[in-house]
Amino acid sequence: MSQREQVNELDQSYWSNVKRQFKKNKRAVFSLWVIGFLALIAIFADFIANEKPLIAKYKGETYFPILKNYAVGLGISSWPPELQNVNWRELDYEYSVFPAIPYLPKNQDMANSQFTGPFDNQRVKSKRWWHFLGTDELGRDVASGMIHATRIAFLVGIISMSISALIGIMFGSLAGYFGDTGLRMSRGRFWLNIIFFFIALFYAFTSRSYNISDALGVSIISFLGQLLISVGIFLGIMLLANLLASALKAIPFLKQRVNVPLDLAISRLIEIIVSIPRLFLIIAIVAVAKPSLILVMVVIGLTSWTGIARLIRAELLKVRSLEYVEAAQAMGFSDVRTMFKHAIPNSLSPVLIAVAFGIASAILTEAFLSFIGLGVPAEVVTWGSLLNLARQAPTAWWLAIIPGFAIFLTVTMFNLIGEGLTDALDPRLRK
Amino acid sequence: MLKYILKRILIFLPTLLVISLITFFISTNAPGDPVEQMMTTQTGEGSSANLQANEEAYIKKRQELGLDLPIFYFSVTNAATSDTLHRIPKPAHRKTLDRLVNDYGNWDEISEYYYNLRDLEQQVVNVKKDNINATPLIDLKESVNFLYNNTDKEKVEFNIESMQKTLDSMNGLVAKANAEIPDSIQTDRPTNSLLSLTAPIQKLTDSYKNMQNKSTKWKNYIPSFSWYGMENQYHTWFFGDKPLFGDGDGQYRSKGFLRGDFGISYKDQRPVGSVLFDALRWTFGISILSIFIVYLLAIPLGIFSARKKGTVIDQVVTTILFILYALPSFWVATLMVIYLCGGDYLSLFPPFFKPDLSGGFFSDASQLIYYLALPLICWTLSGFAYLSRQMRGGMLNVLGQDYIRTARSKGLTEGKITWKHALRNSLLPIITLFASVFPAAIGGSIVLEIIFSIPGMGKVGYEAVVARNYPIVFAVMMFSSILTLVGYLVADILYSVVDPRISYNNK
Repeated sequence: MSQREQVNELDQSYWSNVKRQFKKNKRAVFSLWVIGFLALIAIFADFIANEKPLIAKYKGETYFPILKNYAVGLGISSWPPELQNVNWRELDYEYSVFPAIPYLPKNQDMANSQFTGPFDNQRVKSKRWWHFLGTDELGRDVASGMIHATRIAFLVGIISMSISALIGIMFGSLAGYFGDTGLRMSRGRFWLNIIFFFIALFYAFTSRSYNISDALGVSIISFLGQLLISVGIFLGIMLLANLLASALKAIPFLKQRVNVPLDLAISRLIEIIVSIPRLFLIIAIVAVAKPSLILVMVVIGLTSWTGIARLIRAELLKVRSLEYVEAAQAMGFSDVRTMFKHAIPNSLSPVLIAVAFGIASAILTEAFLSFIGLGVPAEVVTWGSLLNLARQAPTAWWLAIIPGFAIFLTVTMFNLIGEGLTDALDPRLRK
Repeated sequence: MLKYILKRILIFLPTLLVISLITFFISTNAPGDPVEQMMTTQTGEGSSANLQANEEAYIKKRQELGLDLPIFYFSVTNAATSDTLHRIPKPAHRKTLDRLVNDYGNWDEISEYYYNLRDLEQQVVNVKKDNINATPLIDLKESVNFLYNNTDKEKVEFNIESMQKTLDSMNGLVAKANAEIPDSIQTDRPTNSLLSLTAPIQKLTDSYKNMQNKSTKWKNYIPSFSWYGMENQYHTWFFGDKPLFGDGDGQYRSKGFLRGDFGISYKDQRPVGSVLFDALRWTFGISILSIFIVYLLAIPLGIFSARKKGTVIDQVVTTILFILYALPSFWVATLMVIYLCGGDYLSLFPPFFKPDLSGGFFSDASQLIYYLALPLICWTLSGFAYLSRQMRGGMLNVLGQDYIRTARSKGLTEGKITWKHALRNSLLPIITLFASVFPAAIGGSIVLEIIFSIPGMGKVGYEAVVARNYPIVFAVMMFSSILTLVGYLVADILYSVVDPRISYNNK
């Protein structure tokens, strides 16, 4: 045993222990590598499949068109007039290096439309332009679609699970930490908070609804900006309510302290949400609204937080009666500090497992939605929408096998990671 | 026990209430116009009388559907919005007006503008068409339609201006037509038939300017609360407006969801109840059957695999189960439909779902097997894999416990240990899983029914969502929630039956 491993053996901190346990699970480690590889594809999709060359010399000037495209997108740079609205594949370069797949998902290759298979007779200039996973009805390259769809799948999985983890942790920890008797406040503060909650909703969201929806039409950034302003207004008004409550403490009737049965309220809420048919609710919302990827992520996130909330609640119910939390309370730390610095960080491990499984299920849900043609705009290619094309053209076996396998692979890998985490984090199994 | 069940059923009620609210508000915020969807007789072109008739038919239909009522018991809006906005029949117009309210905040001026616009529409329709004014009339109609649906300041101003210009251009057209007729011919000279429109367009222009000048945008920032009472869409739909006892005056729209009146499907005007009953038979039947098969196969396989723990056969079974569990059911189903159901590959199974259920029992049964075999396999697959894995885990857990060791040391046979001592305890987690397997089967029905085109609840619900057929959407949503809740309840009851240690009485 080398010295370094010895040091590692001695390192008995919680997370290094978990890491060691996780590494013992070969399947989970393998899955982690596969997911890492897929994540690289997702991140560098533009450099793997693109209509523009990676580097090219055109009319005496050297360009990095894909990198430059990012700069143009950010508004830092702009295309010279001779490169605006050009067909990148047919320019007369002095030299050029194209990405591995020289197509974008939206490019229509008219010569190879109507479902040309990988082994069919493709009408291409040379093997370099071969559609090695075939094309769809419009002649769009399936390989390129698959690469870019990886990005969408990962985005959906990660963002929707971030949303659901955030909500789940918030509700779960409130319910678990305070229980039904832990949160006491003055009567005045209680009612002011409730009243001002609705007022804040009104000013932050109702009266700004057109600002927000208009911004969504402009760009994502301005939409997020408007949303941030709304959240700011909301928090500001709630702050005002609490300042007012402190001032009103002078009145004896309002000063009396009341219990806030947080656990009861949140548990009921979870119970209600769990019994709503989730997939059908998502379909209903997504079918009614304008197709948008963000909406799909938000809806999946908003409907899948209950599991995480339950886990965190159970964990915090245990943790809050442990000595170190009691010690923190005895030392006079505020509830917020005890919760965020001591209680929650020590209860996060089950959430990690839930998030791994949750990402798998979010990816599956999105794939199904685009499979039935809902949610994502029609021009966006996803694994689900590619699989859907197979239903219209049964002979296009590559459309039936490949996207389905990609979904299967990703979902399985996330599930295996989840299982590995379960084993690694469960102290009962640790030898 | 009874007390516990009653308590659980009491919790159902608020849950159902919340679900009804969610569904209801999704539908009211949906784009599209159910009234227009149901109106079959549409006379597009036509005179003012026709326009009037159309509108009357529209309003009548809207009343029939109860859409003229306010949406909910109350509304929280701002001081600028009128509490009578819901009386404007067309949703597109309501949207435009709402936007104008947000931009200018003066309801009086806005409604004046709106009525001037409607007046202009009437006048435009009233003008008799001839070959001189044909093009200008079309332009004007387009402009009016544009104003009905748009609020962008520049575009609206441009349109109003262009209406003026269209009017002005008429003079030129008339003069030109006059010039073409030689002076010698004695006939009725063409006149400017659009002169009657000068006044309404001027009025419209003025009212638009007036609306802008007298803007009271600040009113948008004053919250206002209005109470509408029981005469609203939600109440009518959920609780019904028929009196509880007797017929009242005999005039009611609905007995309400709670009293079993689910409304009428927008699509084919059938009662939702009967549409849903037809669909529910399929979904419920297939779900129950598949769950039965799942339990029937999964329990023995789980036990078998647990007893052979560590052997090659256990590893093979475990791996296969894991793959089956992870396979996306809609992928498997798609592959099956493409490669096994006729078309260009094998045609072992029927491509369309059209069982002929007119024969006797045996012919019906064989028909059902023929048509449902593939769907049932798909339905069963993932649940079966999941349950077997759980059963194996549960069994292993139990087999490692002290009392099993005691049983072994007593010299009991392995068979007796497994079936008599271990099974009962390892069944516990499996039974609670019923609570998630059943809703999953109902939810999974959406996926599989769409792919196999089985006319069950999932497919009917999905088609209703896409076609914005809301009475059906409501009902499907409510029924699948009820089924989910019942699933949870059944699981809890089973749990206490299997494990006498669990009692809900002193909870």
